[in-house]
Amino acid sequence: MSPVVLVGTKKGLFLLRGDDARTSWEVEGPHLTGWQVFHAVRDPRDGKLHAAANNWVYGATAQRSADEGRTWKRSEGLGLPEESGLKLTEAWHVEPGHPSEPDTLFLGGAPGVLFRTDDGGTTWEPNRALLEHPTREKWQPGAGGLCCHSIQIDPTDAKRMAIAISAAGSFLSDDGGESWEPRNTGVAADFHPEENPEVGQCVHKLLLHPARPERLWQQNHCGVYRSDDRGETWQRLDKNGLPSDFGFGLALDPSDPDAAWVVPEEGAENRVTPDGRLGVYRTRDAGESWQLLENGLPSQAWAAVLREGMAYDDRSIAVGTQSGSVFVTSDGGESWTEAASQLPPVLSVELA
Amino acid sequence: MAVVVVPSLVAAQAGGNKRFEVDADTVGEALRGLPVSDLLLDERGELRRLVNVYVDGVDARDSDGLDTKLEPTAEIRVIAAIAGG
Repeated sequence: MSPVVLVGTKKGLFLLRGDDARTSWEVEGPHLTGWQVFHAVRDPRDGKLHAAANNWVYGATAQRSADEGRTWKRSEGLGLPEESGLKLTEAWHVEPGHPSEPDTLFLGGAPGVLFRTDDGGTTWEPNRALLEHPTREKWQPGAGGLCCHSIQIDPTDAKRMAIAISAAGSFLSDDGGESWEPRNTGVAADFHPEENPEVGQCVHKLLLHPARPERLWQQNHCGVYRSDDRGETWQRLDKNGLPSDFGFGLALDPSDPDAAWVVPEEGAENRVTPDGRLGVYRTRDAGESWQLLENGLPSQAWAAVLREGMAYDDRSIAVGTQSGSVFVTSDGGESWTEAASQLPPVLSVELA
Repeated sequence: MAVVVVPSLVAAQAGGNKRFEVDADTVGEALRGLPVSDLLLDERGELRRLVNVYVDGVDARDSDGLDTKLEPTAEIRVIAAIAGG
């Protein structure tokens, strides 16, 4: 199958179909017109597409397609129980489950909620432990709402999961989501009245390295971090050569646990790439140093890349901007191809 | 039978059906019976804030909301509030 970049935008879902070399891309779509596609992903286990699609008027939905996006089925009864006192406001991220659980997927949403389906996305059940988490009253919404945007499953153990919520922090589970433990020690929360709060950190993206699952990376509102012990401790990395501590997107290399890519922005008060150009920064030494990559990226740009605006697979990294461009590299960032431009503002990319 | 007419974006979520004939005594009953009821009503069964419903030209919120009684020949128009970006 040819490579595809799933591009969730403010105005529907686009599919970019590439050639085998991944240097030439054709735009297909839009699908789900009228919907803001916060995130879309292909389930590698059965090839179906899943989308977290939201609309100002009609609310939050989880949708799935078995025909490459031409037709979609909406999940049934997606919502929060009355006793929670909460209503679902947005669907943020769909994560296919562990290979041993082929019909299981997870859906993150706002306000700080996680759902699980065991029937391939027809029905979803809210995760009670997160819904009733004892620290919930201390969580604060960021600019994007109180969103559960990162869901990572340990490839070696389906019950070991990591999630992140902005601005509640990172949480880990060893029991498939029956319980969640905050893992934010050492992560800055400069905007928070407490110096080292247990929760309240504004994680922008959290990723678990698939080949070394005890290693976590996060791009935070206040820095870039790596943990080598499943979040027990975090090491701050943005002082080692990044132009700022602020950014959203994050990508990894599945064959190299020491590699990561980020797209720094000037800061929380001016969320565009610094120096008037789009630059991606890479580390190959676990964050000890960072290298600017700009070959093929626009030299004049005030770009913004959202938290779902960066994705990776075993060959490529994709970056989508709010200016409607998608850039792809297949040589670790040494050179970039603009796979699409003039799309609606890009909310998410996934390589599929 | 009363008739419910929905906007095209909602119709696209119902296989392209824009008009639905319903056997219902109230607005709420009519909407709950649609295959797109979850887009019009939230998880508490309340009308979404930016969804407007007109019964024979009268805003249901100015009547009894979802409890508004329907004549057997009523036409219910679902119209999205002016919102977006």
